[in-house]
Amino acid sequence: MPIEHAGLPVLSAILVSCVLGLLVIVFLPEDREKLVKQVSALFSGITLLLSVYLFVAYDRVLGGLQFVERVAWIPSLGIHYFNGVDGFSLPNLLLTGIVFFTGVLTMWELKTRVKEFYALYFLLVTGVFGLFMSLDLFFIFVWYDVSLFPMYLLIAVWGTTRKEYGAMKLTLYLLAGSALILPAIIYLYVGSGLHTFDVVALMQPGALSGDQQKFAFLPIFLGFGILAAVWPFHTWSPVGHVAAPHAVSMVHAGVLMKIGAFGVLRVGIMLCPEGWRHWADLMAILAAIGIVYGALAGLRQTDLKYVIGYSSVSHMGIVGLGLATVTAEGLNGAVFQMFAHGIMTALLFSSVGYIYDRTHTKLIPELGGLSQTMPVASGYFILAALAGMGVPGLASFWGELTVLIAAFKVYPIQGIVSVLALVVTALFMLRVIQRTFYGPANEKFAELPDVSLFLGIPRMILAVVLVIFGFFPGIIFDVIQTASIPFMSGLAQ
Amino acid sequence: MNWMIAAPEIFTFLAAMWFLLLSLAARPDPRREHLTALLLSAVGVAVCLVSVNSDGYLFVKAFRADLFSQVFKVMLALGLFLIVCLCGEMRDIEDRNRHDFYVLLFVCTLALMLLVSGDHLFAVYLSLELSSYSLYILVGLRRNQDLALEASIKYFLVGILSSALMLFGLALLYGAAQATTLSEMAPVLPGMIQQPSVLIGLLLTLGGLFFKLAVFPFHFWAPDTYQGAMNQVAAYIATASKVAAIGVLLRVVALAGQGSIYLVHVLVGLAIVSMTVGNLAAIAQKDVKRLFAFSTMAHSGYVLIGILSMNAAGYAATIFYALSILVMKFTAFLVVVAISPEGENPQIRHLAGLHRRSPILALAFMVSLFSLAGIPPTIGFTSKFLVFVAAMEKGFFTLVFIAMINVLISLYYYLLLIKAAYQAEPAYEPKPLVLSPSLKLLSGVLIAVIVVAGFFPYPLIELANATARILAH
Repeated sequence: MPIEHAGLPVLSAILVSCVLGLLVIVFLPEDREKLVKQVSALFSGITLLLSVYLFVAYDRVLGGLQFVERVAWIPSLGIHYFNGVDGFSLPNLLLTGIVFFTGVLTMWELKTRVKEFYALYFLLVTGVFGLFMSLDLFFIFVWYDVSLFPMYLLIAVWGTTRKEYGAMKLTLYLLAGSALILPAIIYLYVGSGLHTFDVVALMQPGALSGDQQKFAFLPIFLGFGILAAVWPFHTWSPVGHVAAPHAVSMVHAGVLMKIGAFGVLRVGIMLCPEGWRHWADLMAILAAIGIVYGALAGLRQTDLKYVIGYSSVSHMGIVGLGLATVTAEGLNGAVFQMFAHGIMTALLFSSVGYIYDRTHTKLIPELGGLSQTMPVASGYFILAALAGMGVPGLASFWGELTVLIAAFKVYPIQGIVSVLALVVTALFMLRVIQRTFYGPANEKFAELPDVSLFLGIPRMILAVVLVIFGFFPGIIFDVIQTASIPFMSGLAQ
Repeated sequence: MNWMIAAPEIFTFLAAMWFLLLSLAARPDPRREHLTALLLSAVGVAVCLVSVNSDGYLFVKAFRADLFSQVFKVMLALGLFLIVCLCGEMRDIEDRNRHDFYVLLFVCTLALMLLVSGDHLFAVYLSLELSSYSLYILVGLRRNQDLALEASIKYFLVGILSSALMLFGLALLYGAAQATTLSEMAPVLPGMIQQPSVLIGLLLTLGGLFFKLAVFPFHFWAPDTYQGAMNQVAAYIATASKVAAIGVLLRVVALAGQGSIYLVHVLVGLAIVSMTVGNLAAIAQKDVKRLFAFSTMAHSGYVLIGILSMNAAGYAATIFYALSILVMKFTAFLVVVAISPEGENPQIRHLAGLHRRSPILALAFMVSLFSLAGIPPTIGFTSKFLVFVAAMEKGFFTLVFIAMINVLISLYYYLLLIKAAYQAEPAYEPKPLVLSPSLKLLSGVLIAVIVVAGFFPYPLIELANATARILAH
């Protein structure tokens, strides 16, 4: 049974501070750019504090759903405003809080249409927070779309390389996902006969028959999977990353792609476990192809952001492989990898953002020897790239390790292929580091300033988080296990 | 007979007569007429709201007032008021025609009100014709003669064709059911729905209404008429006229009870073709109003999905959809009217730089377009969601999936419009937009309504449910 949480509704408070920040920004005058940024930092800081509070205050012994808020919204359709946190969503909420706040700081030097940018950015993040905490299918869909449609303008207006093409491709791909998801969730609503969109009610054994679960799982997996860059629906992702402004790339790769994986977990796996088992082989094959494909494609890129984009496809494949194992370890590893990859890519894009703002290029051949001119900025990137290679001592290592151990037991072939692909990933990450930061320096960039202490704050936060959870992964694993172990043992019965 | 039941119609009739008298007596004075029209239409909304609970028959049972008709009358009066709000600046109409413009606008609204409460077949037909003829003339009133005349004649030709079909259909229904009013037919028709004559009669009758709604294959008038008509008139056709058509369509379809498999199949086919043709054709448009004409056609397809569910949930969803069309289409047309002060037809490229020229208009445009595309949290999403739930209850999984694919297609051209307003820069610096404070206020209110009604739709859904129960008996 969900535990009612007396006192402050923390989850709604997060949403309210996002919306309040949005409204304040909308009503600020156009030319007060500094003030807009300060207000954004204030409200995103509040959400960060609230999400840290959630992470700390969550009772790990009790487990289950906590901080539950439930209000009837449209009774005639069985729709509730129903929020709650469990071990799967808690790391993701923390991740969103961190990336949101550091993203605001990363865009501190933005000069064009500042107010509109931050307003749309807040809208985007409201959707992300809402999706991670919602336990009602209707709201999950609403938040899913709310987190997507601001992306179009964010990329088309403030983006860089081929921004109009990238924006349109991304938006249409992701909303194609919603074309699969909406019929599927209405099917669950009608098919269960319970006439409710309540996830907890639909999770009860017997709510959905085995055939219904098998039928509904595929559109849910593919729909949310598009957002998680599941091969072959990943092509929007590198293009979108490259075109997007830095903070949007951070949120996009850091958090939005996790929404996809989380949607598969929350709606697909938790509501349709029979379907999960039925389609697991397909999931594993697609995930393994994605891991290999991302690694090989990354090898050939000359644009820094494309490199990160393809490595994201590869790393999200690891999440998919973890989900496909149908084991508690697989789920643990997948959720941990979601968190670790979020922090890591956010740091990568944040660092590239600083470099691009100075040099106005992100082409690897034009850079080179940057560690001589900006050692600190280079350091942040190199740290994140090492995390991307899966170096022990950084958070990503644990996610990849757990997933691969789980995968070897269930899908040995896919497991071996993935390990080989990770070697390729390490290869191209090292190659990028070598060409961009070492070797002969480009004379043009010799005079550029290194990242200042203030502008370095967002990267510092991300780097510290990456290292902390690299040394103490148990902090997050303990939380995830409060959800994964009861869930899997519930299935076994 | 209690005359108070007919209060909305009587008031609208008197308002129309007032303008008729003015046209005989007074010299044209645009500002005074606009204020009078605003006042009268605002009072009209109030009258409709007061008489929302009226119930009974009028004029030897030719018309019937119940919650269903009264709710639609409120929407129609609201539509009229909103359109009159846009009529402050009308440069593309002769000064001497201004009185006639208002006369026709009020008469047309009167006809639409009669249409949604029509019970006798003849009353339904007559009010449909009265509204159509008013609109034929309104479309032709524009000063820019050629386009407007072409639009008017095209509208007229498709209109009389479909009304002839409808008359034939009504005759068949009468022959089969031996009854002349909808309420007498309601008990007998469901039992004889399998008879070919009833089925054909029903489909032909629906044809006349499909013309109003621009459902395939009765949509040919829409793009040319929208383009040729004044922006305000196009807005009226896209909002109030559509709302009334949905209302009377619901009344007629409800006659079929649970419906027959053939009827449902025909409606499914029309829904799919209307959505797909409308959305695909809209992609190619350069003229904003033509684009909206095709998007209206696509929306008629979504409306049909709600109707063909043939259950109370589907009817309630359709009523909610009618309201959402009124609000979001009007908001989009408000921007069309506001960015073309000379009454010209705006092209997509004319939207460039709108976000700088008027942030509030650009925001209203974006919100209304996202709502039209069905993106949450807007009223357009909620209405689509209700329609899809109703269809899924009947097992139309594939239909809902096709509709979602269509949502995706429509998103493409809506995004192009949004890009034009927010990202594109004009080739030359356009004249600054001067918006009256009241228009700014109206835009702000509409943005709030679209978002708030999308996020907190419960009271409206309850109203739609209560209204739909009248139909489902």
